Amino acid sequence: MKSLLEYFGLEAERYQTAWISGAEGIKFQEVMDKLVTDVHRLGPNRKLRDAR
Amino acid sequence: MTEITNQIRKIARDLLEKGEVSLFMAWEKGNQEHETRPFSARRSEETERLVFDQYSIHNLANGLLKYRDSKEKIGIVVKGCDSRGIVRLLEDNQIARERLYIVGVCCPGMKDPLQAARAASGLAPADAGNELAAKCRECLQPNPVIYDQLLGQEQPPRLPGERFERVKELEALSPDERYQFFEQELSRCIRCYACRQACVACNCRTCIFDEMRPQWVGRETSISDNMMYHLVRASHMAGRCVECGECERVCPVNIPLMLINRKLIKDVGEFFGPYEAGMKYEEGAKPPLSVYRENDPDDFL
Repeated sequence: MKSLLEYFGLEAERYQTAWISGAEGIKFQEVMDKLVTDVHRLGPNRKLRDAR
Repeated sequence: MTEITNQIRKIARDLLEKGEVSLFMAWEKGNQEHETRPFSARRSEETERLVFDQYSIHNLANGLLKYRDSKEKIGIVVKGCDSRGIVRLLEDNQIARERLYIVGVCCPGMKDPLQAARAASGLAPADAGNELAAKCRECLQPNPVIYDQLLGQEQPPRLPGERFERVKELEALSPDERYQFFEQELSRCIRCYACRQACVACNCRTCIFDEMRPQWVGRETSISDNMMYHLVRASHMAGRCVECGECERVCPVNIPLMLINRKLIKDVGEFFGPYEAGMKYEEGAKPPLSVYRENDPDDFL
């Protein structure tokens, strides 16, 4: 998936997959933190923003 | 080709008369020289209409989906690419092998009916229709991989040069250049879904793009909705595309769809391969993306 997104010229870091069980609250928090940090680092998304 | 046509007619007549098949799928001639269209004969008299010529370019395997719920036995003529489509359908459990009588034809390559039509009407130079269709110029497998009976002389693969050359060229560009490239190509998409309809691997009964509640993918022809459509369509093709090239051929706005499909073929080959989709039918065999192995790579998730 990431490989395909990169091929289309999109920043693959914006897309992350993680396996989190319903009992893993802490892991959920960590994953979301990482996602937010990664996306902040990339800055605002300029691609695929034309819909509506 | 006339000889193959005669052989096909004879096989079809025999099968229909003996009642071994209820219908026989091949092609018939249309009104124009460049017009050959899919045709299913149901009575032995109709077999006189069957032809195989240089414009029998359609992948008939896709037409089998219409009969997936019936019990009829079906005779079908396949070229190399179509036969891989049959393997696709068998692997996807869309049709039972026992229901098919497959006549394989070693394919010398087809001409593009659209180019020929343009040439005939003066919209393109008169010789434009003479060369092989784009998908046939890059053919890897002209000979059928599954058949009950084989016609014609075995043909060598026609792929000139490197198979993933264009994909590699694109990969070498910067992300922004790639985005621009696809933005430009995909902005033409009118969302007619011809690529989906022509595809033998697109055999879901309910398609994500038709679902309205919830509507998973937007239906505007904006660049973001178009790109979303093509990303999703492409990822459903991963490890399943048999490279018959029909999607690209039927696209009314010439989107280079095989560039996207080949990228996935390349990736699946690198990550899970070596693997070629639909090259060989083994009962119970699973394509790499249908099985889970502990050591499957996952850093691209």
